Amino acid sequence: MDGKIKKELLAIVGDGRFRDQQEDLLSYSYDAFTVESVPDLVLLPVSATEISEILKIASKYRIPVTPRGAGSSICGAPVPVKGGIVLSMTMMNRILETNTPDRYCIVQPGVINGDLQTELAKTGFFYPPDPGSMGFSTIGGNVAQNAGGPRCLKYGVTSDYVLGMEVVLASGDIIRFGSRNVKDVTGYRLFGLFCGSEGTLGVVTEITLKVIPQPAAYRTVLAVFNDLDDSAATVADIIGSGILPAALELLDKVLINAVEDANNIGLPRAAEGLLLIEVDGSEEQVEKELALIIEKTENNNAVDIQEARTPEERDKLWQARRSLYPSMARIKPNCIVEDATVPASKVPAMIRGIRSIVNKHELLVGISAHAGDGNMHPLISCDMRDLDEMERVEKAIEEIFTLAMSYNGTLSGEHGIGIAKRKYLPMSIDEPTLKFMHTLKHAVDPYGILNPGKAI
Amino acid sequence: MSARSDNLKSPEVLQCSKCGACLPVCPVYLQKMEEGASPRAKVQLSKHYTEQNLPTSSHLNNLINCCLMCGNCTAACPSGVQHQSLFMRMRSYMATDHGEGWHLKTLYHFLSHEQQLRLASRFAKLGRNHMLNYLAREVKIGNIPVKRLPKFNKRPFREQIIEDVKQNTPSRGTVLYFTGCGTNYIFDKVGHSLCRILKVMGFHVEIPKSQVCCGLPLFVHGNLEKAATNITTNIKLFNRNDIVAVVTDCATCGSALHKEYEIVLKELGMDTEAAKELGSKVRDISEFILGNYELLEPHLNSKATRQKVTYHMPCHLRNGQGVTTEIETLLKRLPHVEYTRADDYDTCCGGGGTFFYDHPETSYQIVSRKIKNARATGADLWVTGCPGCSINLSGNLQEEDNISVEHILLLIEQALKK
Repeated sequence: MDGKIKKELLAIVGDGRFRDQQEDLLSYSYDAFTVESVPDLVLLPVSATEISEILKIASKYRIPVTPRGAGSSICGAPVPVKGGIVLSMTMMNRILETNTPDRYCIVQPGVINGDLQTELAKTGFFYPPDPGSMGFSTIGGNVAQNAGGPRCLKYGVTSDYVLGMEVVLASGDIIRFGSRNVKDVTGYRLFGLFCGSEGTLGVVTEITLKVIPQPAAYRTVLAVFNDLDDSAATVADIIGSGILPAALELLDKVLINAVEDANNIGLPRAAEGLLLIEVDGSEEQVEKELALIIEKTENNNAVDIQEARTPEERDKLWQARRSLYPSMARIKPNCIVEDATVPASKVPAMIRGIRSIVNKHELLVGISAHAGDGNMHPLISCDMRDLDEMERVEKAIEEIFTLAMSYNGTLSGEHGIGIAKRKYLPMSIDEPTLKFMHTLKHAVDPYGILNPGKAI
Repeated sequence: MSARSDNLKSPEVLQCSKCGACLPVCPVYLQKMEEGASPRAKVQLSKHYTEQNLPTSSHLNNLINCCLMCGNCTAACPSGVQHQSLFMRMRSYMATDHGEGWHLKTLYHFLSHEQQLRLASRFAKLGRNHMLNYLAREVKIGNIPVKRLPKFNKRPFREQIIEDVKQNTPSRGTVLYFTGCGTNYIFDKVGHSLCRILKVMGFHVEIPKSQVCCGLPLFVHGNLEKAATNITTNIKLFNRNDIVAVVTDCATCGSALHKEYEIVLKELGMDTEAAKELGSKVRDISEFILGNYELLEPHLNSKATRQKVTYHMPCHLRNGQGVTTEIETLLKRLPHVEYTRADDYDTCCGGGGTFFYDHPETSYQIVSRKIKNARATGADLWVTGCPGCSINLSGNLQEEDNISVEHILLLIEQALKK
């Protein structure tokens, strides 16, 4: 990057938030995906005004700009594949307002999801989207990826909770849309467009989120199966019967053992399949729903049903669920997680299909799923240095996507496209539709400077 | 010569999934809020350096060394990365590439030569204890004004006390006391309290005179060979089969003896069996007292003067020894304590050995938040279990703060019947 341009950018943020030494650039070259790419410059802005100034310069000189939250994405979304500027949002991390009587909160994009939960819990409220990374991922990142999580089965994903946003466009214009109202049909529903846009349409600088009261009661059980098919059939059975648990998570034997090796929390190692089921609501409601769920699991040959008796036991089970990715990643240097998603009734067929594909390609794969909403999570343990293995991984991924599409599924339920799945987009989106998306992108970012090479 | 020409190794880097779980637990990252300060970045930079994709530089040296070595990242890492081993090794590579500061060289020299350390402490005592008042007010070490540093012991603790402290009642067994440099040279009161408490509990306390510095300040800075001499000496003295336990009153020494001796010797390719054995015998004094509380309780005076207390949990207790709830449990049981937990009571104080000296600004920001939270509890006494934390917390308090920092042993001793 030209020294003159650097000087202009330095003048905006000052010494303390301008990084161009190799060591710092390397620190912003990765997320939790496998591909790395080093930017030319890292800036750590603290306001929309600064970002506006930065984008004006970037537009003028056609410099790529990649916004970044905690860098915990697993699809490469914040990796600056075309170099340029990484815009780290971590210093914009203030919760600006929590207003539980009016059921909203306003946050800066760098706020960590878990910190927001802690703050809201003080008043008995919560913000439902709970990605596995919630302890460290940022709300801005969650919005960019339209993150989901286990309890999104019942409560919906990030975009279901965004009420309004402030966004800086590539031109440097600062726009605001939405409001603090759950009901709002004034103008286009733009936040639906920005959720999941992976930083390709603008830089989100403030987010108004809907929050809801915590349920009065919850119950968490672990159902153990000797046959993975039985656990998948239970999922289809529960969802098909009209019960809506807060979460319905499936784990296969590979994962049960990976988690045990890593965390030793006492999961039954011999089981072929586990379902982690949580119901919440009023006391009467959880009692009734749990009885029905237990009946379904028993009808499907569950060999054991264990209930978490204390909040600590419940946390432990959820901790186990959230640690799947790193538990698999410790087996080999890399771990690739796909999140093809299918209608719930297709979960049993999909799981059988994934197992047969990965067996055929002789890969070490653990299968988990936010099974209630058909969101598959095959975790592929691999070594990027083993080219033969990576070739088999590629083939398996493509076959899994093809299978998902044959069940009217989709490529990604919640992780996003990033660079990981971009080449598979035509499987899911037809040409005129993709063209429409590019038209929109071109209209707001005519020079294509915002996170080039991602999402669409 | 650059360390890069050596046979570099870093198996840990392949285990890191770059998930980001270490970010919100790292006190330095939380202060700086930029990736370069995070454990994850240190691992990635180590990877590039050891794979010879990144040349050494003073900036790399700074980034690698800007770390409290608190162990929070390792404790939180779901992929099982052993950050401390990696960072120790990287620090030694950096020392080879860039040399060490004069303060570290001096520190290494004294900590690895106990005789000279004893002598140096006498001069330091003269310096500190007799420094002109105005100088002591103005001169700072790191972010701590000299006048807020504790005074040195008149004589080292181990010279003040006999090697065997006999018990009152029939002996419940022998406890070996590893006094650490903190107690030996600065906080002799803590050592006397420990002996008195264990004595009334019925234990026979032995204090091996030829013990030396635990070596942790040496090996965390990458000076593994020098540390190994201290480690071997201490293992020989303390790894005995005729004892109930080895107790420490310093969280840092405790974590060295309990866990890290084995790591260091393994790193050097030495035999780790004896280190492992010793590790299993080491107990932090709070853990030891709590485990034998029924022996202490009859000797406590229920009418002892009541104290409003809050607590700072040393990282080296939690991450280094798995001592998590013990001190709080003791505080809740002691008859004369009114305990209030402070927000952030379990986060690092920012002292980090020489971190407060090397990175005064970051250290000060970290400790300031802790002080604010401790003040908010309204406590008179801020209890902890580590002389390093004590110096840093107490050193950063203001004149107007009506709170004093103390080792939990002193608080327990106050409740003993006369």
